[in-house]
Amino acid sequence: MAEVVLDEVQKSYGRVTAVQDFSLSIGDREFVVLVGPSGCGKSTTLRMIAGLEDIGAGTISIGGRVVNELQPKDRDIAMVFQNYALYQHMSVRDNLAFGLRNRRVPEPQIDAAIAQAARILSIEPLLDRRPRQLSGGQQQRVALGRCIVRNPQVFLFDEPLSNLDAQLRAQMRLELKELRQRVPTTSVFVTHDQVEAMTLGDRIVVMKDGLVQQVGTPLALYRRPANRFVAGFIGSPAMNFMDGRLTMEDDRLIMTGDGFSLSLPPTILGDAAPTGQHALCMGIRPQHLRLGGPSGPGQLGLGGTLMVTEQLGDEQIVAIRVGDKDVRIAGVDPDLRLAPGTGLEVSAGVENLHFFDADTGERLRATT
Amino acid sequence: MSLTLNERTRFMLALIAPAVLALAFFQVVPILVGANTSFRDWSLHDPQRTWVGLANYAHVLADREFLRVVLPNTFGFMTASVACSLVLGLSVALMLNRRFAGRVIVQSFVLLPLMVAPVIAAIMIRWMFNDQFGVVNAALGGLGIGPISWLTQRWTAFLVILMTDVWLWTPWFALILLAGLQSLPPEPFEAAQIDAASRWRTFRYITLPMLRPVIVVCVVIRSIDAFRTFDIVWTISGGGPARATEVFSIYAYVESFQFLNLGRGSAAAVIGAVTIVIFAMALYRILNRYVEVSR
Amino acid sequence: MSVPTAVSAERHAAGFFEALAPGGRRVLFGLAAVAICLLFAFPVFWLVLTSLRPGFAVYYVHRGTDFTLDNFHDVLAQEIVLKALFNSFMIATLATLLSLAVTATSGYMLSRFKGPIPNTWFSLIYVFRCVPYVSWVLPLYFVTRQLGIFDTYWGLLLPHVAVHICFFSWIMKGFFDGIDPSMEYAAMIDGCSRWGAFWRVAMPAAIPGLTALAILCWLYTWNEFLFALILTSHETPIITVVMAQFVHELGMEWHLMSATAVLALGPALIVTLFGQKYVIRGLKV
Repeated sequence: MAEVVLDEVQKSYGRVTAVQDFSLSIGDREFVVLVGPSGCGKSTTLRMIAGLEDIGAGTISIGGRVVNELQPKDRDIAMVFQNYALYQHMSVRDNLAFGLRNRRVPEPQIDAAIAQAARILSIEPLLDRRPRQLSGGQQQRVALGRCIVRNPQVFLFDEPLSNLDAQLRAQMRLELKELRQRVPTTSVFVTHDQVEAMTLGDRIVVMKDGLVQQVGTPLALYRRPANRFVAGFIGSPAMNFMDGRLTMEDDRLIMTGDGFSLSLPPTILGDAAPTGQHALCMGIRPQHLRLGGPSGPGQLGLGGTLMVTEQLGDEQIVAIRVGDKDVRIAGVDPDLRLAPGTGLEVSAGVENLHFFDADTGERLRATT
Repeated sequence: MSLTLNERTRFMLALIAPAVLALAFFQVVPILVGANTSFRDWSLHDPQRTWVGLANYAHVLADREFLRVVLPNTFGFMTASVACSLVLGLSVALMLNRRFAGRVIVQSFVLLPLMVAPVIAAIMIRWMFNDQFGVVNAALGGLGIGPISWLTQRWTAFLVILMTDVWLWTPWFALILLAGLQSLPPEPFEAAQIDAASRWRTFRYITLPMLRPVIVVCVVIRSIDAFRTFDIVWTISGGGPARATEVFSIYAYVESFQFLNLGRGSAAAVIGAVTIVIFAMALYRILNRYVEVSR
Repeated sequence: MSVPTAVSAERHAAGFFEALAPGGRRVLFGLAAVAICLLFAFPVFWLVLTSLRPGFAVYYVHRGTDFTLDNFHDVLAQEIVLKALFNSFMIATLATLLSLAVTATSGYMLSRFKGPIPNTWFSLIYVFRCVPYVSWVLPLYFVTRQLGIFDTYWGLLLPHVAVHICFFSWIMKGFFDGIDPSMEYAAMIDGCSRWGAFWRVAMPAAIPGLTALAILCWLYTWNEFLFALILTSHETPIITVVMAQFVHELGMEWHLMSATAVLALGPALIVTLFGQKYVIRGLKV
């Protein structure tokens, strides 16, 4: 069983704390994605699992074994790097064989392993070429091949798709998912791209400034973000945020902000509803907004002035100015012609609103 | 369009004009003069400078001293010096590439020979190997080994000259190779760590191939310079004992300024020049292709 | 479907270094580091030591405890030594300035332009770089005599510049290769002439490299021997030649010999100490 358990792992460089209190249990064959902006500590965490960085504090176990003191080569892991890290002066075949030869595996077994990996990744015709003769996608497949032939307990991926162009990236994502079905292995995948995180991960760990913001399935992160950062990070186009004040008045919640005033049923926050006046940030995804006024009691409306439209072919994204902020609406009919400066009304169901504490950024949620 | 081309061309030529002039007057012209001299019987006692065609060349090429001693000396010295400096320089570079306490101090020591004039280095080492009062013989005497007369025998004298050259040029190799090592990407080495490569295997299969372009350039440059060595041989042995350690540049100098046969000296110089130019071009082409392939 | 599990039977290849305990490894490393320091420092140390010993004690440099600065006094009392030190300094400095100016433009041309002219120039430089000095230093003797600059500053400076062209154009080309040409294009679109783009955009960007090269050039010229030997005589003594003459003339007076050598080493040491970080910074291409 190849579980990976990180227990209160910490890493500092001088006075800068790169990773703080990182605790996570990764199940056997689970594919976990670490995602976050640059400098959030995701790569550092991955490299600590690999053994390329010393662990500051805490323990990391692989397959039930604590690996803090073990060299990378003894941890039974394999890693794919952002710029492939292939051995440039060896053929593809030798690249794949290198790790096995170093471990004194008999040649026939090496050949069998290479043949199988090459078949899985469709790189058989490339075996005798040098890395420099390969395209980016091919090189990345060879890097994957290097992992597969070793058949380790854990695969580690350090932003492997970041060097590829957008189209290739989408294709490689598919290939990675297919590979997962053929060679299911516990995996830790690091990326800064939330689309990769959402499409590839069984579970996602969102990180910021060395701290874990939230751990959950893609859908959980999308629907129930723990705080404002996760809400704004996951999902594209990003969630709209509007600051304002929430007060209780005549058993309606009134949310007032620059350019808008909304009357909300108190049930949406349940027991998390604040007493008195409370500074809050309200969030609503562009996908949950519709052009047009409220169509029913469960809906609320906003008004604003059209600023820009972005044509995507199957939909338009429209930005209207409410107060001093731009609010974006997705899913607008692509054939609709709208002139900047037009006054527009948009509406959304109240169940799609998120409220975040203005100071802590935590999402307010009812415990009942 | 043709106007722009002209202006571009003019700019190009203007950029190199001073260099071309300097080169022309102070390299091309002397070489031509030297070539001219080599075809004439130009001794200081014969002011006529009569044309003798290839007689000087024939004399030099038939000179047993030249063929049996000078050329082997020169090529042998070149090979030995470059090989030793390369190996030693690579070792030093590998050592300096790791982070360790006192690294800056070691680095400063390594840079020391680079600022010492070859003449001074020759003087220092000649003094160390002085047969009566040199420190080397004193140390050997302490071990019970009799005093060796270093500069009166061919092979020991050569050893001293070789050591001087290696002392002078190892840091050059070390610095350039160190810069090369530091410019290598770290990821293949991390991958090698994960691939359980031992330090030797990492060096042989990853470091060395990646350093090959740098090594090739260093070897070519240094070989060409080693061929032309004059300073240290002149200062240490003067080409002795009895011309046994003569290298090609000393031979030409001796012919010209000691035997005062400028014609023959120039002929020798031209032969050497042609030899090294051919050698250098061949080396450049071979290694260029080699570097291309290994890419 | 999984890859043959026999692959997981890993026995690691143990190299020589891995076989040593970490403590043993560190000791070996430390010994090597010390050995290297000794190797490079010893001759210099010995030279300095010899220069501080009075004449009679030279014969037992490693024994005895007499130290004196008399050797330096004696050596500096000789006018030729003083003159030689001064001349060497002037030549080194002037040659550096001239060479930088001439090779900067040459290297810039090689870097920014393609075509028959740069290619020819490049090949010419390469060929001439390989020609051994001896083949044209001797005739240089005649050329400088004819031009009337033998045994003068110009007679030494110009040949040095000619040599530096071959060495440094390459390196200059490398520097300019590393500077993004888009800045110069932008300047030219903004109305700069080609010369202006070179002088005001490219050159300032090349200053770290130029500084490094200036230091190296100065050191190289200060230490140069062959040209000085052949192209100068009594009017313009050069320190390297003077030293070599002493070796062949003074015979046993190694204390004076070494004092002269230490004096010649001094400026080089100072320049290296101060210039070191500029050289490293400038050559980081």
